[in-house]
Amino acid sequence: MTDYSVGDDIKKARDIVQSLTKSKKIVRMYPENNPIYINTLEEHYNKFKDFFYYKDDLKLLIRQNEILYESEVVYTSSEKEDNIALFFFKDGIRELCFKKGLPFDELESFLRIISIDDNRNELDDDIVTLFWEKDFQKIQHVVDELFLTDDEDYESKAVTEVKDKSEKEDNIFQAYEDALSEREEVKDASIVPLSDKDLQQLLQELDEDGLDKTPKLVDILFEMIFLSETAGDYDDLAGSFMAAVEFAVSRGDIQLASKILFRLKQTIDGEALADDVKKQLRRVIIFSGSDQVIGLIGEVLDSGQETQEKNFEEFTRYLDKNAIVPFMKILGELKTIHARKFVIDALIQLGNKDILLLARGLNDSRWYVVRNIIYILRKIGDKKAVDYLLKTVTHGDIRVRKEVIMTLGELGGTGVLQALRDCLDDVEIQVRTASLKALGNIGSEAAKRIILNKINDKPFKDRDFEEKKEFYEALARWNDSEVRDFLIETLRQSSFFGRSKNYEKRACAAHALGICGGKDVLPILNKYKNDGNKEFRESVRGAIKRIEHDK
Amino acid sequence: MINKDDIELNKTAKEIVNQLSVVLRTSQIHDPNNVAVTSVIDKMIVMINSLIAVERVIALELKGDFFYVNDARIRFALEYLLNFDFLVREFKKRELGSVIFKDKLRPDDIKTFIAAFIASGFSSSPFDLISEKVFDLNSLSVERLKKNIVESGSVEPRKMVKKTYFNAVSYTKGVINKIKSGEKVNIKKAKRVIETMVDQILEQEQLLIGMTAIKDYDEYTYHHSVNVSILSIALAQRLGLNKKLLTELGIVAIFHDIGKMEIPNEILNKPSNFSDDEWKLIRKHPMWGVRALLKLRKLDELTIKSAIVSFEHHLNYDHTGYPRVKKKSGIDFLSRIISLADQYDAMTSSRVYSRIPMSPDKALSLMVERSGTQLDPLLMKFFVNMVGIFPVGTLVMLNTRELGLVYESNQLFGARPRVMLIIDKEGKRTQGNVVDLTEKNDQGEYLRTILKTMDPNKYRINLAEYLL
Repeated sequence: MTDYSVGDDIKKARDIVQSLTKSKKIVRMYPENNPIYINTLEEHYNKFKDFFYYKDDLKLLIRQNEILYESEVVYTSSEKEDNIALFFFKDGIRELCFKKGLPFDELESFLRIISIDDNRNELDDDIVTLFWEKDFQKIQHVVDELFLTDDEDYESKAVTEVKDKSEKEDNIFQAYEDALSEREEVKDASIVPLSDKDLQQLLQELDEDGLDKTPKLVDILFEMIFLSETAGDYDDLAGSFMAAVEFAVSRGDIQLASKILFRLKQTIDGEALADDVKKQLRRVIIFSGSDQVIGLIGEVLDSGQETQEKNFEEFTRYLDKNAIVPFMKILGELKTIHARKFVIDALIQLGNKDILLLARGLNDSRWYVVRNIIYILRKIGDKKAVDYLLKTVTHGDIRVRKEVIMTLGELGGTGVLQALRDCLDDVEIQVRTASLKALGNIGSEAAKRIILNKINDKPFKDRDFEEKKEFYEALARWNDSEVRDFLIETLRQSSFFGRSKNYEKRACAAHALGICGGKDVLPILNKYKNDGNKEFRESVRGAIKRIEHDK
Repeated sequence: MINKDDIELNKTAKEIVNQLSVVLRTSQIHDPNNVAVTSVIDKMIVMINSLIAVERVIALELKGDFFYVNDARIRFALEYLLNFDFLVREFKKRELGSVIFKDKLRPDDIKTFIAAFIASGFSSSPFDLISEKVFDLNSLSVERLKKNIVESGSVEPRKMVKKTYFNAVSYTKGVINKIKSGEKVNIKKAKRVIETMVDQILEQEQLLIGMTAIKDYDEYTYHHSVNVSILSIALAQRLGLNKKLLTELGIVAIFHDIGKMEIPNEILNKPSNFSDDEWKLIRKHPMWGVRALLKLRKLDELTIKSAIVSFEHHLNYDHTGYPRVKKKSGIDFLSRIISLADQYDAMTSSRVYSRIPMSPDKALSLMVERSGTQLDPLLMKFFVNMVGIFPVGTLVMLNTRELGLVYESNQLFGARPRVMLIIDKEGKRTQGNVVDLTEKNDQGEYLRTILKTMDPNKYRINLAEYLL
């Protein structure tokens, strides 16, 4: 502890006040476990402790642009921002007093309050309210309440007026006479005692009062449907329902939002209401699928809050097709796979309502969104989407091309075969393989013909052995006489020219026959099981083993 | 940390008050040597002696309806409500104000105190008996209950309360006009106004409640809103709501009648009874209130609470009242509180319920009759205790042939408020002399006692003239 001399307290007070600006910034910027945060607070606390070694309190007078201690200016600033004096002054604080024994926790709470963003106009609580709620024991403040009322002199005017309104003549003597003449006496009343049951009931009431009251408000809004009369009433009511949906969603209460929509649908469908009223109520459903609400849904999904799948599904079920575009929008913005899964499921449910609207998502610049939309279209399974899907067959991203080929394979339809045939010559092996599988999925004669033709094409022999094997595998899916004959013929085909390529072809055929199965081909395969070409021999043996195993 | 110590101290003090209540309750049932009594005594001794080691003296004092330990008010704890309530009643009954523990307690000391306490319940001078019996004890002493928290001469609290009240009325007037003209409303200001009221209710409950007796019929809407807010906060603080919730309730109450701003003033201020069509309009104000509140600001918890109360404040406990609803779910807790306050103020103000205002005590007895049907019986119990048997503004005839107005309720002795005399014993007009009905003569008899209550409205007595 340093020795005290006259004027020291002013220096110390100045130091404390000026440190407020620094502490305010630190507390705002750093988490409470950060060493900078901890050190700053301790430093500030020690300054107070040092001050209280000599003085019992630190009383600061607050003016608009300066702070005074013992009539001395200890802080001054003419800035609009970062002006600690103005910061207190504008909320009506005129004096701040820190008392000896100021606990560390209390100082920390104080600093946390004053570190709230300067732009706090949007908040519902001002500094005085926040101080009040904390109920500080060692920090006191004096406020100027005048600015709370529009009329500074209201009190004296009101008192004069209310007194002036006194009847010219009261009947006070009549009262006295009546009192003397009537004999009725007062009963001895007493305080009503409380019982254990009363207390239990009160505790229950207080518990229930702490629960969310939004469902209660929603009940009231539904009552108001039947109490309202004018178009304006219904317009306002629709607005209130919208606010309730938005509020519920913003708090992650998807269940309540679903309930609102469910009851609205029930009311629209089941109650004898005028068309105009129903139209207003439908506005709420449209709003629930707007960018605003779906954006909030996205935030909830990404926040990691527990979102029950059932509630979310139910909410989506009541939405209209206008929700498709906002859902597609957030699909590209969501951060977690979990959240995207929810949205994909929602779009699978909603997409049915307007497949073409959903297909617009295929034009999205983000490849993963396009792939998700293709997946959604495949799950919906509506052939109307094929034309749009075909356009993405040439998408720049291979992952999209693979997805669309798979989808086209599942959907089939006009133009698909042509596209798949073209994809068999794609530069990417994965795309070619996907096309093959898609053609196999389609399973039509035309699809078979495409594969057969491709195998018979001259350049086919130059493809990798593994790829050729895939083609034959795909062909085996048909397993009809044409395919079997083709495979047997290929198996038997020997050639003096390009022998290695020919063995590859025969090995593929053997492999495919193994997939086709049937003991009738065993004698033929057995003929080649000891062939000199290792690749061919192993394929034949593999096929035999497979067929025998299947038997 | 000092703060944590403070919290601990408060907790211990709370537990001591609770334990004293437990000891006294148990002792009234069992013999002093019964293990049920000795075990609770032992527990209390441990508590007190450990605190005495730190504080040296522990003074437990009853002021108003609250206990203080070494001048620090014991904060409300719902779990101890019954025991606190019991102790307050038993202390008041015996005119016992303080028990001061000065040294290490022994079980026999406590037993002596208990015996004196029980015996005093049958005595005509209960405090004197306790005082005499514990006189020789070194470890504890007692003091008589102080008559009033606010002494007769203390003008300051009254001034502050008056200022708070009119600030609130002025704010309400301003805010309603702003809403009417479609301007934005600053909720921060509302909070500040109500926070001051909450503080005053916690410190000077009866003074602020007293302000609600002043009725200004030209500014009825604003005064009524503030009165309902005050009465609701006062009731809710007895129910154990914390400061933040009390503030919310106060704001909600201010706006409970906001739907009435759509009803023409000619109807609201009509001197005669309403026609059927006018009643039809009046019955719409709860719904209009919801609409106005929901349009006022973005939906949040406070707006939701306000809207619910606006809709339900005329729905009775038994679901009668208005507006008629299809689904009869329970009436919200805050709505029931505000409904009580609203009915009481409306009855005593004579605007909607009846063209003739009722005297406060008549209104209260009518409300007691409605308890369990129209009004929540549990809340009604608290409300009666809060307003008192003779609310401020009641016209009373005293046994001294003096006529007066109740100026300030007495929470300790409900039947003995402070009264402003308006006619003296000679039947002459007088004004300004406030007497305390707890005053006794040398023989220990009360100087004045209320004989009967009368209706000040019936005799056109303007309360403001006397009470402001």
